[in-house]
Parts: sequence; C-alpha cells; structure tokens
Amino acid sequence: MFLAPAAAILAIALLYPIGYMIYASFLDWNPSQRIGEADWVGMRNYLKLLNDAAFWESTWVTVRFASIVVTLEMIFGVGLAMILDRNLRGMSILRTIFILPMMIAPIVVGLMWRYMYHPQVGIFNRTLKSLGFDTIPFLSESNWAFASVIIADIWQWTPFIFILSLAALQSLPQSAIEASRIDGASGWQQVLYIKLPLMLPVLIVTVLLRLIDAFKVLEVILVMTNGGPGLSTEVLALRISRTASEFRELGEAAAMSNALLFLLMLLTVIMFGYTKLQEKRAAKLRQAAQEEI
Amino acid sequence: MKHITNILKPSLLAGLVAISASGIAQAEVAAQYKPYEGTTLVVNFPVFPHYNSTMKVIQQFTEETGINVEVDQLAYLKMRERQTLELTKAKGDYDLISYVVFSKADYVYADQLENLARYFMNPKLADPNFDAEDLIDGYVQNIGVAGGAKGYLPGPTGSLYGMPFGSETSALAYRADIFEKHGLKVPETLEEMVDIACKIPELEPGMGGLAMRAASGHHASHAFLLLLNPLGGSVFDDNWQPVINNAQGVAAANMLKKITDCGVDGAKTFGPSEAASGFSSGQYAMFLDSIGFAAGFQDPSKSQVVGKVQWAMHPKGVVAASQTGGFGIGIPKNAQHKEAAFLLLQWLTSKETDLKIAMEGGNPSRYSTYQDAGLNAKYPYSATFGEALKYANPDWRPIIPTWGKINADLGTTLSKILTEGLDPQEGLDGVAERAHAIMEEAGYYTWQ
Repeated sequence: MFLAPAAAILAIALLYPIGYMIYASFLDWNPSQRIGEADWVGMRNYLKLLNDAAFWESTWVTVRFASIVVTLEMIFGVGLAMILDRNLRGMSILRTIFILPMMIAPIVVGLMWRYMYHPQVGIFNRTLKSLGFDTIPFLSESNWAFASVIIADIWQWTPFIFILSLAALQSLPQSAIEASRIDGASGWQQVLYIKLPLMLPVLIVTVLLRLIDAFKVLEVILVMTNGGPGLSTEVLALRISRTASEFRELGEAAAMSNALLFLLMLLTVIMFGYTKLQEKRAAKLRQAAQEEI
Repeated sequence: MKHITNILKPSLLAGLVAISASGIAQAEVAAQYKPYEGTTLVVNFPVFPHYNSTMKVIQQFTEETGINVEVDQLAYLKMRERQTLELTKAKGDYDLISYVVFSKADYVYADQLENLARYFMNPKLADPNFDAEDLIDGYVQNIGVAGGAKGYLPGPTGSLYGMPFGSETSALAYRADIFEKHGLKVPETLEEMVDIACKIPELEPGMGGLAMRAASGHHASHAFLLLLNPLGGSVFDDNWQPVINNAQGVAAANMLKKITDCGVDGAKTFGPSEAASGFSSGQYAMFLDSIGFAAGFQDPSKSQVVGKVQWAMHPKGVVAASQTGGFGIGIPKNAQHKEAAFLLLQWLTSKETDLKIAMEGGNPSRYSTYQDAGLNAKYPYSATFGEALKYANPDWRPIIPTWGKINADLGTTLSKILTEGLDPQEGLDGVAERAHAIMEEAGYYTWQ
C-alpha cells in the first residue's frame, strides 16, 4: 500500500512514455497523422534499420565520438584534478573558472565554437593566417569537422570529470597517502599505485555517466555542423531528430530511439553491475577484517 | 496571445495591438469586412526577407478591416515542425500559415489545407478586382496547385490550395565593378559561369568566384538542382524512375564541385545566408540563388557592395530553367476563423499589397508589380527578375511526400562528393537506388 503512490508515479511518468515509444516503433506513423491513424507494421522499422547504411554510419560516428571524447576527457579531467588538488591561495576561484564551460547552454557552446572555427572570421584561422600558416577547414572537411566537434565537447565536459575526480581525490584516506610518502613513494608512484586505484570506483561510474551522455549528444553538433560534411558528424541523436522532423518517419525514429535506449541500458547495466561487484568486494573485505579481529 | 511563442519584434506586436485598437475606434471599416470586425487572426510566418517586409505593411490590414492579426514568426526550417503539430489538432491555433513549397504535398495529401475554390466562389468574400490572371503563373502552379499532373502540378484534376506569397525564382548576381575591371563578359551559360568562377581567384587574389549554398543536406541538394535543371536533367523520368544518376546529373555534381573548389575557405558548408553574406561582404564576384536576397545587397546596413551589384538571368545549359520555390500561404483545415483568414490571404496577395510589400523589399507575386515604374526606379533589377520568371520551371523539383527523405539523402551524398572525394557517378548511383526503394515502398510503381 505504501508503495502504491510511488508505483503509480513511476508507471505514469516513466513507463508510459517509454511504452508509447516502443509502441510507436511498430507503426508506420507520419507526423500528419494522429497515432491512432497510423498503420501497424510489426518489425518492419527495425528490419529497415538493419539495412539502412546511413543509420549504421551514424551509429559508428556515435561510438567513435563517445569513445574518443570520454577517453580524452578522463585523461584531462583526472590530470587537472591531480594538479589542482592542493591548498593554494585563489584555488577555489580557479576551480570555479574550470567548471564554467559545463554551465553554458549547449546551443551557446555550439554557436561559440562555430564562430571560432569560422573559415574567415574565426579566431583560429585568423591567428593561423596572421602567423603565415595555411588555414584549416575546421568544419568543411570530414576529418577536421569530426575533430572539431570532439574538441568542443572536451572543452565543455572535461570540467565534469574534473569535479568528480577532485571530490574523489579529496575524500581519499590521508593515512594511505601519508604511509606511502613515509615509505618513500615518489609523486608519480603515489598517483599510480595509491591515488588512482583508490579513486577507481568513482572513476568507473564517472566514465559510464559520461559515456551515456556522450551517446545522446545533439545540440552542440546540430549547431556546429548539422551532421556534415556528408554524414561525418551525424551522431545517432541527430539522425533520430532528422528522421522524425525531416523525413517525417516517426515510427522509424522511434525504432532508432529504442536501439539507442538499448545501447544505453547495456551501459547502465554494466554500471550497476560494477557498483554491485564493488559493494560485494567491500563487504567481503569488511567481513575478513572483522574475522581477523 | 497565449499561443504566440516567438514574435520577431515585440515592439512590432505592441504596434500592431495599438493600431488595431485605435483603428477600430477611428476608421469606419468597409461593409464586406464588417462581419469580421474585431476578429483576431493568428498567422504563422517564417523569418525571411519577404515576410520581414510584410511585417512593415500588415498593420494596414487591421486599419482597413478591423481584423486584428497576431504573427508567430519562426525560422523557416523550424516552421514545418510547429505546423505539423498544429495541423493535427482538432482545433488549430493558426488561421493562416505560410508554408515552404515542398510542404504543399504533405499538407494537401494529409487533407490539412482548405481548398480555396469555395472562398473564391463566395461573392461576400471574393474581391471582384482581385485579378488572378495577373498572378505569376509559374508560382501559382508550383506553390498553390495540387492534384493535377504528377499529383503536384496543374492539370484537369488539379485544385488551388494556396497562394504564392514570398515565392521566388533564381538569378545571378554579379559584381559589375569586378567584371568591368577585368573585362569579363556576364555569363549566359553555365559553362561560362563556372569558367569565370574559377578565373576570379586568379584575377582577384583572396576573392571567391561564385557564392552558392552547398552545406550537407537540403542546401547541397538545392544547389545541385539549380544546375541540374538548366542542364536538362531531372530527379525522375515520367514514370517515377530515378534518373538523377544520368549524364546530366553527374555533370551537375561535377559543376557544383568545381564551383565550391573555386570558392573561399568554408564554401562547401555554406547555407544560403552564408553564401549571401559572403557576396555582400565583398568576398565573392558572383552569387547564384534566390532573388529574395536582392534587397539585402542594396541595404547599406547589411551590405558592403551597395551600388556594385547587377543581376543577370539564371545561366542556361541546354535550356533556360530557373528555380520556382519559396513560400505560399494557405488556410489550415482546422483554422478557427477561416473566412477572415481568407480575407487576409486575399488582401496580402492583392495588387496593391503586393506592390507595397515589393517596395519594402519583398518578392512580387504579380506581373503588374514587376512592371511598376516606381518599383523599377527603386530596385532596377526588377525588370531582370520579371524576365527571369518567364523561364521559371514549375516542375523544378518533385513536390511529393517522399521528397524529404530523397532530398536529405541526395544532399548528404553530394556533400560527400564535395568534401570526401566520393565519385559523383558512384554517389548518384547510390542515391538513385535508394530513391527507387523509397518510391517503391510509397507505391509509386503500383500501376506499372
């Protein structure tokens, strides 16, 4: 009985929209129709996806994008946290400045970078020109465009990794770090053998959270390249948006959304699985310690 | 007001409201408008030069008729999304909508636009001096009529669902000073145009030849069609078989690649606004696109080439075939004030208003407007545009429900040809194959 209100809210607010999306994925549904007028087509939308080269290209772009940005953001974010984990004057202001990018609306981030990458008036190409170098086709050549959206994402989301890593670092048991220092461990050895292993549970969760987010990236890329040139930066979320609004295929868009949802659920299961594993390991260690006592 | 989400200029709205109030109080409205006095129409317009010009005169409608107008202006590619939601409601919030030409097929097919016949048949509503013969024929066929030949063109079975308003054709803008300086002849054919486009960077270092849209998707596809039509090509043959990959198609793709290769940095990702701003900032010697940009090139607050620009006909290939496109206006089936909306539609497309909007920089929809001496004195290029309209091809692109998907595929494939070195024949073969599958699924080969 006590669970009933929560269960009702869960059913209405969470499961109904998901159920609606799953149902829509089995329909041939045009936005000019009400959902009741759409024809039931069974698995046709999913079968179409299997043979849709553009969908697979978008999936590949998304996987590459997410893997590269998350790897680089982890390196930069954790690195910055290590550097700024000290009590210096003005450090709190510096930390605040570092996290500013993730507070900016993604549309603004996209616009800002688009103008910075502008072939004629953008700061990067103007600087290159003034130094006598050739300009770079940041957004008009496929590989450069892909690299350019990665740079923008890293700029925006490294602070997220930084904040979580810093929090993890500051909550590490000082006794272990002190003990390693007394044992003569160098700074690098402390990072590699003490800090990183102790931070690992937090880092894993951070990676998974960022991966989930990176798989759904849309606004920044929409504003910067709109998926082009060609399909070189067309991530899955953008493909879904185009399929719904431009191609007017709501059923297919819903099937793509479900494919993305399935992929993200897989990542979430891994995240929960890992957390569970950690909890079990910790419980075992606690038990072993108690038994020793 | 609660439904208005994006008014272009709040001050303008305030002005409209003020005028509507004072207009009703002071001026006596004509008898034919009396039954609708005090009605408030909600209309959906795009943010587009023609409609921005319309906003400068629309308050006169309220003054003359006592009918208030609230305008919801949206970016034109976003407009369709909103309209799709609005048109499926049982009771719509929009009384009059502007639609992009390629939306005509979807809206008519989904039975979401009013057939205008019953309004033009109603003696209480139809103005006997409307003079429909004066409307530019190609525009009416392209934007307004559906149900005739090929389903989207006029013919014995066709009917009128909208009126051209902000329709446009294409023409070539060029820098007269640059052409004169280097003794260049204004191109009359596509070959001459491409030749000059690639000579310009050598003659004027730092300057691009021809500014043209080419961004991945709709814009690349649009630019391709600007070249394909004069070359005698088309997307489909008369039996709906894709022929986009024939010799003309490949020639058009190669031409587009050459044009963008001879452009300034970033030319391969230009949308129409970027191409126009490249030309108006003096980075380009030529610009091939809609005539809708003409007034902007004359505006000193936006253009650095005022007084240096002249216009020529869209260069021909084997035929002269300029674009027909742009916008029309129609009355949604679920509108709540259909008759008053028709009065606004009729007023906006009347001879008098067409001229007023054109004088503010809009695109005329009437032959008489192009012949007006005052307009030609203010905008000397009007005569050229009037001439160009004789060659405007109403079948410039297929206006069918499947076009959105084919257009997007064509546009991204062209972008790959321009930026990734994809072989044009191979790329267009792929588009034709996929287009065939899309058409087959949509039932276009059922009777074959």
